[in-house]
Amino acid sequence: MNPMQDTHGTPDPSPDQGGTHEAHALGNTLRWAFELDESPAIAGATFLTREIIPGARDPFDAITTGAATVRQLEDLKNAYKMLRTTGATAPERSLAARLYAATIAAAIVRHGAMITRQTPFALARAFEELAGDPDMPERIRDLGSLAADALGRMK
Amino acid sequence: MTQTNWELIRDAASGSATARASLDAVMKRAWPAVYAYIRASGRRSEEATELTQAFICDVLLARRLLEKADQARGRFRTLLLGAVRNYLADVHRRQTAQSRAPRTGLVAIDGTEHGAGALVGEASVGHESTSPERAFNARYVAGLIRSASERLQRELEADGDAASWEIFRLRVLQGAFQGTAPSYEEIAPRLGLDRGQCAARLLVTKRRFASILMDELRATMVDPAELKSEVADLLALLTEGR
Repeated sequence: MNPMQDTHGTPDPSPDQGGTHEAHALGNTLRWAFELDESPAIAGATFLTREIIPGARDPFDAITTGAATVRQLEDLKNAYKMLRTTGATAPERSLAARLYAATIAAAIVRHGAMITRQTPFALARAFEELAGDPDMPERIRDLGSLAADALGRMK
Repeated sequence: MTQTNWELIRDAASGSATARASLDAVMKRAWPAVYAYIRASGRRSEEATELTQAFICDVLLARRLLEKADQARGRFRTLLLGAVRNYLADVHRRQTAQSRAPRTGLVAIDGTEHGAGALVGEASVGHESTSPERAFNARYVAGLIRSASERLQRELEADGDAASWEIFRLRVLQGAFQGTAPSYEEIAPRLGLDRGQCAARLLVTKRRFASILMDELRATMVDPAELKSEVADLLALLTEGR
């Protein structure tokens, strides 16, 4: 028997090692696995945001600063869309729904681009809800209002 | 639920119908860390293999060390580390008694007293900066991560979700251990997903991996309340290089 034999395709550092690089990689993997454990609902969305825009502070910043490209906003939209159903908790799923609408709003307001096939009616309702949600930061609510206005002009 | 190490050791030493499978599981869990400690203590590869085998048979199973230990205080990692350290010290004493000239050119036995920098000769190749404790802890965590990864892969594939395993393998494991994680740009088309979906799947997989890892860690401890402190200790050990 060779207990060190890897048969599952999992990277397996040499058993004769144990040096700095390996310890660093192992520590990072452990930290990565557990970093969400005690975080609030925004942790999942922040993780997704940073996967798509490395270095982003949080989802609200990524969406509202205007630095995100249309493509990045589209990627964020798709990620939040999935989080609406796969989120671990109701608050996380709820936040994902708001962020999903916010990415569409940002694409319209910042880039004049439409990144969804949602109907104008559904969009208008989503932007109004975004603008009126007291749990959202002010800049996200403002974005909702601006998008609702822009959508009205596009009709 | 993962069987605890104590359950496995008890069964492996019992001669029951499942003893062989339990022994294999014990070997898989304990071997790499014990071997790494012995190697980093200055033993050559062949000798380290023999000593590891002997340690597991003579100490872990035959003496039923962990059964005798106070399990209420026990973490498998610390018990194993203490046991292998004592075992090597015993071996060293026996060898020294037999001959004043160690045949392996060995210098260091106990990493706390003789750092890896003290190692000499062929036995030290590749270990100049690795203390036995550090090597042990790194291999121990590597074993946990590997075991959790293997289970994650089995579960995802059984769920028909090989794509999530592939994203995890490429983005996390390959990124951490080979230093090259492919971008979503490269991964997504291969899997027939968009980039956002890939990221979202990774989040779900990450949480599942954490849950499995916790389960694996729980199997090494008696008191689940100590889980968080064990995670913190492992992170500190890996970060500080103790």
